[in-house]
Amino acid sequence: MAELTQNEKRLLATLEKEKKADAPHLAGLLDATPEAVVQWAHLAQDRGLATVERVVAKEFAYTGEGKVYLKEGLPETQLLEKIGPGTTLADIQKLESFRIGFGQLRKKGLVKVEGTSIVKTTGASTEAYEYALKNPSATDTATTDIVKRGLLSEVETVRYIIWITPEGLASVQEGLDLRKETGTLTREQIISGEWKDLNLRKYDVTKLPKKAYPGKVHPYQRIIAEMREILLEMGFEELYGGIVQQSFWNFDALFQPQDHPAREMQDTFYLRETLPLPEGYEKVKAMHISGGNTSSTGWGGVWKEEKAEQCVLRTHTTSVSIQHLANNPNPPIKAFCIGRVYRRETIDTTHLAEFEQLEGVVMDEGVTFGNLLGILREFYHRMGFTGVRFKPSYYPYTEPSLDAEVYVEGLGWIEMGGAGVFREEVTAPLGINYPVLAWGLGVSRIAMLRLGLKDLRYLHQSDIAFLRETPILRITKDGV
Amino acid sequence: MAVITLPYKYLERLTRTDRKTILDKVAFIGSDVERIEEDHADVEFFPDRPDLFSPEGVARAMRGYLGIETGLPVYSVKPSGISLTIDPKLADIRPVLGAAVIRGVDFDDESIMSIMSLQESLHWAVGRGRSKVAIGIHDLDTVTQPFHYIASPRSRKFIPLDYTEGMTMDEILEKHPKGRDYAKIVKDFTLFPLIVDSHDHVLSFPPIINGERTRVTIDTKNILLDTTGTDQRAVSVAVNIICTAMAEAGASIESVEIGGVQTPTLAPVERIVSVQECSRLLGIDLTPATMASLLEKMRFGARPSGDDRVNVQVPCYRADIMHDWDLFEDVAIAYGYDKIQDLPPDTFTVGKPHPVQVRAALVREAFCGLGYLEVMPFTLTSGDVLYKKMQRMDCPGALHVMHPISIENTVVRTDLLPLLLEFLTMNRHRELPQRLFTVGDVVNSCLTYQQAAGVSTHRDADFSEAYASADAVLHELSLGYTVKESADPAFIDGRRGDIIVAGKKAGVFGEIHPAVLNAFDLDHSVAAFEIDLRSVWGSAGIQDIP
Repeated sequence: MAELTQNEKRLLATLEKEKKADAPHLAGLLDATPEAVVQWAHLAQDRGLATVERVVAKEFAYTGEGKVYLKEGLPETQLLEKIGPGTTLADIQKLESFRIGFGQLRKKGLVKVEGTSIVKTTGASTEAYEYALKNPSATDTATTDIVKRGLLSEVETVRYIIWITPEGLASVQEGLDLRKETGTLTREQIISGEWKDLNLRKYDVTKLPKKAYPGKVHPYQRIIAEMREILLEMGFEELYGGIVQQSFWNFDALFQPQDHPAREMQDTFYLRETLPLPEGYEKVKAMHISGGNTSSTGWGGVWKEEKAEQCVLRTHTTSVSIQHLANNPNPPIKAFCIGRVYRRETIDTTHLAEFEQLEGVVMDEGVTFGNLLGILREFYHRMGFTGVRFKPSYYPYTEPSLDAEVYVEGLGWIEMGGAGVFREEVTAPLGINYPVLAWGLGVSRIAMLRLGLKDLRYLHQSDIAFLRETPILRITKDGV
Repeated sequence: MAVITLPYKYLERLTRTDRKTILDKVAFIGSDVERIEEDHADVEFFPDRPDLFSPEGVARAMRGYLGIETGLPVYSVKPSGISLTIDPKLADIRPVLGAAVIRGVDFDDESIMSIMSLQESLHWAVGRGRSKVAIGIHDLDTVTQPFHYIASPRSRKFIPLDYTEGMTMDEILEKHPKGRDYAKIVKDFTLFPLIVDSHDHVLSFPPIINGERTRVTIDTKNILLDTTGTDQRAVSVAVNIICTAMAEAGASIESVEIGGVQTPTLAPVERIVSVQECSRLLGIDLTPATMASLLEKMRFGARPSGDDRVNVQVPCYRADIMHDWDLFEDVAIAYGYDKIQDLPPDTFTVGKPHPVQVRAALVREAFCGLGYLEVMPFTLTSGDVLYKKMQRMDCPGALHVMHPISIENTVVRTDLLPLLLEFLTMNRHRELPQRLFTVGDVVNSCLTYQQAAGVSTHRDADFSEAYASADAVLHELSLGYTVKESADPAFIDGRRGDIIVAGKKAGVFGEIHPAVLNAFDLDHSVAAFEIDLRSVWGSAGIQDIP
């Protein structure tokens, strides 16, 4: 328990002399309100230094009608005085006190009606009621009657009696610092040195603080940044490219045949815009039709310039890395790109029409498929995934191709991304004469695992409370 | 993706081993086991391997991979004496025809199901939804040769499959379920493709529907396969895959004569490959002998030849072998991906961040310092959010996707501020103050570049807060700027300023117009600003990369 407050100390010091007193009395001595004194006393009681007794007393207050009767007497008293031998109903009916007084007299059995005469019963008296009106008492039945008649109202008053306990006395005798407490230090107090004499208030440090929300980077951006860091550490150069790409760079340069299902409008966002084909596109065209000068047969069939000119929202960041390689055909190249890509998917909890993709490429003399596996293992290890394995897969622009799986406790092996060596049909027409190792992965998949999200949309349409609550440092195990 | 049903008993009989051995290893030849059921497994194969789209094809590959039967499968083909003619008028309609005779078929429920589902998977993977290749299977004993592939008037009547009454081909496109599904492939031609026999009985209206007459049943013994399309190679592949699968099931294959040529031959194609090139690509040491035996495991014929060569015979059903590297991938699969030494290359390079991302990180730092929380809205939005609710004019350079999935995702964002206001709407019930920012790509006239924007909402959000925050961010980005009165209708007149850098507008700040607040269903005032990051020092020349 925290230190005694200044007010508790003052109260205890006063109680040491008074021993036992009620709140208003102590308030007078302490120059405070009785309410404040009771509050301090309760704090001291919680520490076992004082005892607070709550005493409830009933008091009575006169109503307007009650005040009149107090002066003039109750109506039944007034009426009773007028009744003598032979008094008839007609005699008293005109009296002002009759309306209430007669009913009361009958109810109390003080008069009887005999024919037309009104007769007092033996010993008829209203004295008890008059007394109760003047001296009401909570235990008196006549008072209860008067309260019911609305002449008096009951008022409960609460008194607090406070006395000091032996522990309280002991603590006072140990000595209390009774100097005035200071809350916020002022500039003057600090500069003047006055702070040396101040009794700085001690706060209850166990209470919960007021919430403050710092400005923060989005947790998803933080994961992207982490991947970026890893690749920069591994010696990769970062690429940045346009969202809008020509079909040529998004598909044709990657040896995707023009009639490939992924190129259909139900899978790709096409735009009305077109861009002129780059110089030397004919080599790509020849590769599609006949395999160019390589051992490939090509796809055969026709290849239409108009199809290649049409713009799309990039379906992968490979469209960015392939242009980088085409512009920089001399080894070595190690590059990566993290960017938003687009697929024409119906949006639900696990599918978005746009999501972040990470793409990495390595071009150098003599790099091998085995080196690609090594890069992937290294990258996933650095992301915190200890179990990594590879299995055959298919991508139109890589050969050999593979899928990487990582082990996640409780979930088993999870597919994390695809990779492969760029086909010669991709590299040869662009003048790239060295093997290119390439891999890609869906960044949002890792984000969903790490942030424990059930709905992918939450990454982009976030609840501010979620962003405020998600800490900057996350404790990860098995990459999750 | 093609998910193939593999009935265990049939698969075990064909593979000559137990189901567990098969299922444990099938992923290593390139597949995903989707479901394990009591009597069958559903396995997904990749679209480049249509030869695996049947239990017969999977068994053939697994016998090799498991070492039960390796090397090239040889299929003998006898001439059937049957011939087909092609009408020259089909040249611009659907010119290519492939055919074969399959005799001694012994159908049961499983094998008839298997051939039907292979046909459908081929339509999808090789046939591009029947436009490139369509396959018809007929009971040969219901018709008489020679057969004629003709261009027929659309009014020609015949009884299509599953019907009892004759219909014209136009009626079939309109009424028959398959007609409606595939009408778009032929509807623009004046004449339609049709296959008839010597008595003018209709076998098929490719690529739509067969005739009822030649329906294949469990009692069918001999089959005529027709395959029509627009691409010779794709048509041949489809014929080869079906014929070899049927041969694996026990049938015998016979060729037919089309235009004087006997087809199919089911003969392999030869490729001579370099062992060194393969070793270099994969990063494993191979001799011609080991490479040949790995290829034999993948059902190629392979013979070492000299120090560096292997003569490979590629089976006729392996449509995916276009290039030597396609064979090298099979070598890697046979070798085992898990046995390849996985060491990163020793290529020395230095990591280099892209200036656009470096700049974005600085922007984040500035905003976070001001207490702003980052959000990452979608880039696909609508004109309603970007312009109408903002009271702004439509942007002429905005890109509209041609086939949007919903009215909320029609335009690529040209600004960020509207998306932040939308964010405030979504978070109306959360504690104030709310200060949000975003930094990211926008697209205008096919050009991608970055903007940053911030909003602050609470009871006292006002112009001076917007000005102070914008000034702080601009200062941190070393952007010397001047302010000019703005005309941006998203802001209150007299409480809005254009940020001018080097004589050009580089952003705007101010207090959001109450009509805009109403449009976004917001209750409190919003101080806001947006900045075109191309104006930041060092940005010249880094934006125009495609």
